Amino acid sequence: MFKIIFALLAIVIALAPGYCAGSRVIPILDAIDANYKMKKDVSAKVSLTQQRAEQGTKIIDMTYFRRDSDDAFLITMDAPENEKGNGYLRVGDNFWMYRKNTRTFQHVNRDESIGGSDAHSEDFETRKLAELYGPVVDSSGTEKFSEEMLGKVPVYRFEIKARVNDVDYPRQIFWTRRDNNLLLKQESYSLSGTLMQTAYFLKFTEIEGRFVPVKQLFIDEFEKGNKTIVEISDIVPGKLDDKIFTKAYLENLSK
Amino acid sequence: MLLIRLSLRNLLRQKRRNILLGSAMAIGVAILVTANSFSHGISDIMFNKIMRYVTGHVAIRFNERGGVMREIFRDKARLLEAVKGEPVIESADEAIGMFARAIGNGRSDNIVLVGVDTKKGLSEKARREVEESFRLVEGSWKDVENAAIENPVIISAEKARYLNVRRNDVIRVRFRNMFGQDQAARLTVVGIMKNDNIFMQPVVFLELPREKELLGYRPYETASLSLKIKDPQKNATALADRIHERLKPGTAVIYASAAGGAGRRPVVVLGYKSDDESKKKIAGSLKLVSGSFEKAFKKDGVIVPAGLARALGVSAGSAIGIRYARKFEKEPKEAFCHVSAVCAGSGYPGENVILMNDSGFYDLYYEDLPAGPGRGVKPYSPGENGAWSGLLAPEWVLLKRTFNTEEYRKKYQEIARNKWKGTTIDVSTMYETASDILKLESVLKIITISAVLVLFFIILLGVVNTLRMTIRERTREIGTVRAIGMQRADVRNMFILETFFLTLFSSAAGMALGFTAMRLISLLTFHPQDNPLGMLLVNGHLYFLPTFSGIAGSVLLIIAIAVITAWFPARRAANLPPAQALRHFG
Repeated sequence: MFKIIFALLAIVIALAPGYCAGSRVIPILDAIDANYKMKKDVSAKVSLTQQRAEQGTKIIDMTYFRRDSDDAFLITMDAPENEKGNGYLRVGDNFWMYRKNTRTFQHVNRDESIGGSDAHSEDFETRKLAELYGPVVDSSGTEKFSEEMLGKVPVYRFEIKARVNDVDYPRQIFWTRRDNNLLLKQESYSLSGTLMQTAYFLKFTEIEGRFVPVKQLFIDEFEKGNKTIVEISDIVPGKLDDKIFTKAYLENLSK
Repeated sequence: MLLIRLSLRNLLRQKRRNILLGSAMAIGVAILVTANSFSHGISDIMFNKIMRYVTGHVAIRFNERGGVMREIFRDKARLLEAVKGEPVIESADEAIGMFARAIGNGRSDNIVLVGVDTKKGLSEKARREVEESFRLVEGSWKDVENAAIENPVIISAEKARYLNVRRNDVIRVRFRNMFGQDQAARLTVVGIMKNDNIFMQPVVFLELPREKELLGYRPYETASLSLKIKDPQKNATALADRIHERLKPGTAVIYASAAGGAGRRPVVVLGYKSDDESKKKIAGSLKLVSGSFEKAFKKDGVIVPAGLARALGVSAGSAIGIRYARKFEKEPKEAFCHVSAVCAGSGYPGENVILMNDSGFYDLYYEDLPAGPGRGVKPYSPGENGAWSGLLAPEWVLLKRTFNTEEYRKKYQEIARNKWKGTTIDVSTMYETASDILKLESVLKIITISAVLVLFFIILLGVVNTLRMTIRERTREIGTVRAIGMQRADVRNMFILETFFLTLFSSAAGMALGFTAMRLISLLTFHPQDNPLGMLLVNGHLYFLPTFSGIAGSVLLIIAIAVITAWFPARRAANLPPAQALRHFG
């Protein structure tokens, strides 16, 4: 859940495609990274609609504040009612979970599951995509890179594999628009090569010259019938008050 | 001898009363023997059937880079060296369990994937215990070794029912491997087992090497180690202390060669601790020549002494190529880093030392453990009391020993707070990790002791009352035997011997009764499905473990209490003046 939100808010695709001799994949990854580091603070409302095959539909609303200058973010839960007031705060290496019922902060370990979701603390680390992944090449040393049509949209399709071993998915396939490198579709594979998740980036909005995917669909390919729709609204770039990224702020919200 | 004869004859003189009192004692002894055997049975189940499989009697746990799930130690041989030569260790097993999401036939549920080493030689006793704990209703343990089947597993009957799978069906599972990567696999059900322990129902057994491969372990790496030992209650703590002592870490050193613009030179690569206090001390003891401490203290920060920088032909911002021999792989490791700061040689920990932030250093060090210093190379040592001894990254972080669950819990909270960059090693015993199970055993023992105390009180009242009545009835007889020459001590001893023999015979009958009762109760079969108390059963039966020391101790205690109780009325009888006793009418 949070993994999705974070990925979503992190991926702000640049308008201008880059170019790098030798590799066609790396420039696109670099372009994503270049825009990953947000120059301004940002806040947004996020809504997740989770559909589970055996559990029905659940809607989760939250407010998200992010400041990359000191690697900080804050998530406050707005719905459902039993989650309202809970939150997550990260400043630098420290990551806390706040529970309004007990009014306590708990350190979240690097690989600890967050709120029973599939997200872990390490998913929130701001590491560069180009450092984590590199292009997949075939036996002749050529990158697996092709030009295709995704519906009516001309796209590049390319495969990337993990350079490090502590990423969620060791192999992914990206479909990006040829004209502006917007990521439209993403398939994620497990270590054994099983397709685990397909993501569709359905709708974008332009904020200060950058495209932000404001509607995404994540389909669980492993457990059929599970899917999550993420919608982002009220995106406000601009300086956020220092007091937001504090424990006191999170505590006061639930009073 | 005369006294013994007299005592035995006197017992027969008051048959009805003695039989009644003896019966009460016998029932008491029977209850005591049964309770004692049940209590020992519970202990045996706790220590040798539950703890053995859940936590081990002693555990050596690892968490690499502060990761809760990242239970890996990169040098298995070195770890085994630390537990070698300990005669109390019966077995040392890698304990690997991984939560997974499983999809069966139209149903999905959570499972725990546990690695099991079926090729390991087991004693007949251990094999019997395994078969008692995990009763296979379909398939055999050898089936999980079948290389022709895709990931063969043995699953509990309850989980198989829930997932709607049978033998030869396939379960798809999704889990995160040790490094957090999503992993998916297909498991083939080759066996179905039953277990009375409700907590073992989610467990799915997979052959250990396959599980390790799925989780990302290399052959020379190990998961946490679970030790089963002899007489765990006596040996666990001392053994854990000894292993802890042997696992004290040295400084983590990479003996490498570094290449810059001016050529390649042998270097020693060390990690520096990157906590605020250490960084402050390092900044205080080094003199910056170029670059900045701000950059040097970042995760990929690298510090080089000025002399080495000149020799390599590098300056702040330059790239350095590092190559070193790996301990377990043939090919050397090649890596690149960028110089963040160049410092003067004075106060620096060595003229050929490259310092890296421990975060980046451990990435390199753990991923490819370096070989030793090699022939002719002097091993690096910062000196025990040197300024740098506390600032350099150790091979691992050895957590302090704790002795109860509270301390243990605090220790793991510290891990989360401290964000160790290195691997933490924790040596613990069942007294820290499974105190809840041990508390259950203590509660059961308290219940047994309470029953015994009530029993003793009843016996005590019975003996005192009977002796008082006997003495009152036999006062004139006491006067007569005293008048014809029997000494006071003999009179007292005669009464005590009567009590002793009555208790002895009653105890013998009680033991027979107790063993018969245990046998009969053991024949009853219980089916405690989904009941946690089911773990206290063996094959659906209550488990009694009579011990010679336990039973002999109980009988001796009862005899001692009866004799001590008899002492006072017997002494009163012996002290009666013969003339007064002869005058007694009652």
